[in-house]
Amino acid sequence: MTAERALDPRAWNPEIAIVPFTLDNGLQLLVLPDATLPVVSVQVHYAVGSRHEAPGITGISHLFEHLMFRGTATLGPEEFSRRLQAKGGEVNAFTTRDHTSYFENLPAEHLELALSLEAERLKHLKLDEENFETERQVVISERKLRCVDSPFGLVEELLFATAYTEHPYRWPIIGWDQDLRRLTLEDCLSFFRRHYQPGEMLILVAGEAQPERVRELVERYFGDLPPGSHDSHRVVEPPQRGERRAVFKKVSQVEALFAGFHTVGLGHPDLYPLMVLAAILSQGRACRFYQEFVRPGRAAELEAEVYPPPWTSADPDLFIIRLVAAPGEPLSRLEADLWESLERLKHEGVTDLELARAKKLLRSQTVQGLAKTFYRGLMVALFHLKAGDGTLANGLLAAYEAVTAADVLRVARQYLREDNRTVVTLRPVSPEESQELGPLF
Amino acid sequence: MAALAAIQQATLSNGLTLLGVEYTRVPWVSLAFMCKRGAETDPPDKPGVADWTAELLTLGTTRRSQLELARDIEAMGAALAARGGWDATYVHLDGLAEDMETLVATLAEVVMTPAFPEAEFALLKERRRAELIQAADEPREVATRAFARLFFQGAPYGHAVRGELARLEALGLEDLKTWYAREFVPQEAVLVCVGMVPFPRLVAAAEQHFGAWQGGGPASPAWREAPARLATPGIYLLDRPELTQSEIRMGHLGLPRKHPDYFPVRLLNYILGEGGFSSRLMTRIRSELGLTYGIRSTFAWRRAPGPFVISTFTPADNTALAVKEIRQVVEEVREAGVTAQELAEAQSYYIGHFPLGLETPRALARQVLNIGLHDLGLDYLARYRERLAAVSLTEVRLAAQSHLHPENLVTLVVGPAARVKEPLAEIGPVTEFQAE
Repeated sequence: MTAERALDPRAWNPEIAIVPFTLDNGLQLLVLPDATLPVVSVQVHYAVGSRHEAPGITGISHLFEHLMFRGTATLGPEEFSRRLQAKGGEVNAFTTRDHTSYFENLPAEHLELALSLEAERLKHLKLDEENFETERQVVISERKLRCVDSPFGLVEELLFATAYTEHPYRWPIIGWDQDLRRLTLEDCLSFFRRHYQPGEMLILVAGEAQPERVRELVERYFGDLPPGSHDSHRVVEPPQRGERRAVFKKVSQVEALFAGFHTVGLGHPDLYPLMVLAAILSQGRACRFYQEFVRPGRAAELEAEVYPPPWTSADPDLFIIRLVAAPGEPLSRLEADLWESLERLKHEGVTDLELARAKKLLRSQTVQGLAKTFYRGLMVALFHLKAGDGTLANGLLAAYEAVTAADVLRVARQYLREDNRTVVTLRPVSPEESQELGPLF
Repeated sequence: MAALAAIQQATLSNGLTLLGVEYTRVPWVSLAFMCKRGAETDPPDKPGVADWTAELLTLGTTRRSQLELARDIEAMGAALAARGGWDATYVHLDGLAEDMETLVATLAEVVMTPAFPEAEFALLKERRRAELIQAADEPREVATRAFARLFFQGAPYGHAVRGELARLEALGLEDLKTWYAREFVPQEAVLVCVGMVPFPRLVAAAEQHFGAWQGGGPASPAWREAPARLATPGIYLLDRPELTQSEIRMGHLGLPRKHPDYFPVRLLNYILGEGGFSSRLMTRIRSELGLTYGIRSTFAWRRAPGPFVISTFTPADNTALAVKEIRQVVEEVREAGVTAQELAEAQSYYIGHFPLGLETPRALARQVLNIGLHDLGLDYLARYRERLAAVSLTEVRLAAQSHLHPENLVTLVVGPAARVKEPLAEIGPVTEFQAE
C-alpha cells in the first residue's frame, strides 16, 4: 500500500483475517495474521467460568486461574510471568462467567516461548498445600478489595443473586467468602483434570505470524495431549414473572439503586439494538440520562449498561441501570422519574438524530478497538467460544449500522418491562449501625 | 517490521507548537491541546481551579451551548474530554479520521472561545460536590488524597487536582476566568495530533483554526522546586472502622523528570515495585506472604520533584506485618542493589514492550504529549531503547543508594484503628491523622 493510500480513511479495510485449524486431539486453533506491528497476542482460552461451578465451590475457576501462575516442575512461582515479561510481554489472565482466558502480548519473535510455557503449565502444573494456601489468601484480599470495601460491590452481587434464581450467574465470579475458605487443594485438582483439556480449549494467535508456522508450533507443544470432551450443558433461567426488590444497608455517603432486566446473550441479534438503546440513554453528554438527571445535579451517576460484544455473557445477560443519587436528592423520587423517562421512550420512540449519534459512537468504539492486536484476538476468540462463530466479530460494524429506530423501540418495550426487573437499593447507615447488622464478608 | 512513525513538528504563525504522528492502522485521530501549566498553579486555598477550568471549556463556547456542542461532537462519534493534571492541562478530542477538519475546528473553538457560562459553573460545582462526597466511600481514593495532603504539607502537588470538599465554596467563576486568561497562551502550549492524516494537511488545518489565537498571559513561572517542608517521617493512621482491609501508602520525595538519573531510576523502580510479578515487592508481599492482591511503587515524574510512593492494601490484621516487610524490601534494595539478571530483564522488558505501548493513537498521543511537556526532543522515541540498554549495573546501584530513603518514609494507613493501631505502635509511634 502506498503511503498516501495508507493515510486515506476510505481505503481502510476493517476485516480481520481468520485462519482456523483443528488438531487431531480436538484442540481448536485460530490464527489472525496481521503484519502491521512486530507483535503477537497469544491467547489460551478454556471454556470454564463461574457458570460451571456449584454452591460450595463458587470462585474455584478464578482461584484456579491464580494457581496457573504458581509454577511447574521446572518453573518457580510466578516465573512464568517473569520470563515472558523479561521479553517485553504483557502477561495476564482473567476469569468470566463463561470462560477463563490467559494471554501474552509480546514481540513476534517470542511466539514459541509463549506457546511452550503455556504447554508447560498445562502439562506439569505443580500444586502443593503451601502454594494453594498463599493464593487463597491473595484471592480473599482481592474479594475484599473488589466487593466488600468497594462502594457498590456487594450491591451488585445482591442484584445478580436476586435476578437469577436457577442460573449459575447468580453467584459472583470471585466466589463467596466462605466458599473461598472452604475449598481444598483436592477440589482444585479434580476441577483442573475435568476442564483443562483439548475439548474445552481454544488457542488463538493474532499478529505477525504465519498461520502454518503457528499450526506447527501448536502441534509440537499441544499435539500430544489426549483428546477430551466438551461439556455443552446449559441452564435456562425461567422467565421472570414480576418485579423483585431487595435492600442493602452499608456505610455510604450516598443512596443508590441498581436495576437489572434480563436480556440476551452474545450471538443474539437483539444485542445490537440494545447497545444502541444504552448509548441513547447514557453515552456521552448529549444523551438522555446526562441531560435529564446528571447535568442538573439530581444524580451523581446514572448509567445504562449492557456488556458490549465480545464481553456479553453467553447466556442471557442483564441490562443494568446504575443510579447514584446526588447528596440530598431523595432516591424514591429519582427512581419514579427514571421509570417515567423510560416509559416516555417506550411510548414515543427515539429520534433520528439520537439514533444516528448512538450508531456513530458505537462505530467509533469498534474502530478504536481494532487498533489493538490483543483486542482483535479477543473479539474473535470470545465470539467463537460464546456464540460458536469467530467470524461474527467481522460483522459488528454492519450490525450496528443496520439498527433502525423501530428495532430500538421494540427491544425497549420487550426487555425493559417492570415484570422483568430486579431492583436493589443501597440504604446508607452509620458505622455503628453497620456493626450491629453483623460482619461483612 | 513497520518503521516507527516519526514525530513531526511545525510552529504556527502565533508561536503554537504542533506535534504530529501519521498513523495508519485505523482511521482515527487523537487530538490534544496541552497548556503547560496545571494544578500546581492552583491558588493555595483554591484546589481544583485548573481542572475545573478545563472542564468548563467543554461546557459551552461563544457559538454553541453545552448541549449543542455535545450533540455536534457526538454526532461525529467523537469524544471531548478535558482535565487538569500536574504541570499541564489537557483538552482531548478523539474521533474518526474522516472528520479531521471539523475536529480541529471544534477543538480550536473550545480552546479559544469558551463562554464560561454562569449556569454551567453552578451545575459543575454541584456535580463536583457530589463526586467529592462519594469519594469518601472509596478507600483507595481516600488514602491517595490524604497522603498527598499529609506529605506535601500545603506545597504545590499537595492537594487534590479535582478539588476538595472543605474548600469548594472558595472557588468562583472569576477564579477560572482569571486562570484561563493567565495560563492559556500559545507560547506555553502544544497541539498534538496522532492519526490517519498526512502531516501537511494537519498543519494547514491547525494554522487555519489556531493560527490567529493570541491568548492571554503572561503565564505563571513554571514550578520546579522541591518544597521547603515535608511531613515528618513516621506512621500516620486515619481511622475507618467500617473497613475490612487497610489501604497503605508509604513514600518520600522523588526526582524531577529532567533528572539525569531518570533511566537508571526507571529500571530500579521496575525491579523494586513496578514490574508486576517480576518486582521484589510483589514477590515478597504477594507471592511469598499472600498479604495482598496487588502492590506497586511509583516515581511520579513531574517538572518539580514528585513523590515516590508504594501503594497496597491488606486485610486489616496483616497491616503491621505488611508495613514492616515493605520497608525491609526497600532497605534490601538500597543496601545490596539489584542483580545483573534483574537489570537485564528490566531492560529487555522495556525494550521488547516498546511497540506494544505505541499501538493505539491514544497511547502514542500520550507519549508525544509527554515529550512536548518536558521538551524531551523529537528523537526521544527513536533513541529510547538504546538509552535504556546503555544503563549499567553500577548506575542502578548508585541510583538505589542516592534515591531510595527508607529512613524518610512517610507511612499512611487508612483502616480500622481498633484492629491496626496496637500492632503498628510496635513498629514506631503512631500519629492519628484526620481527613479533611
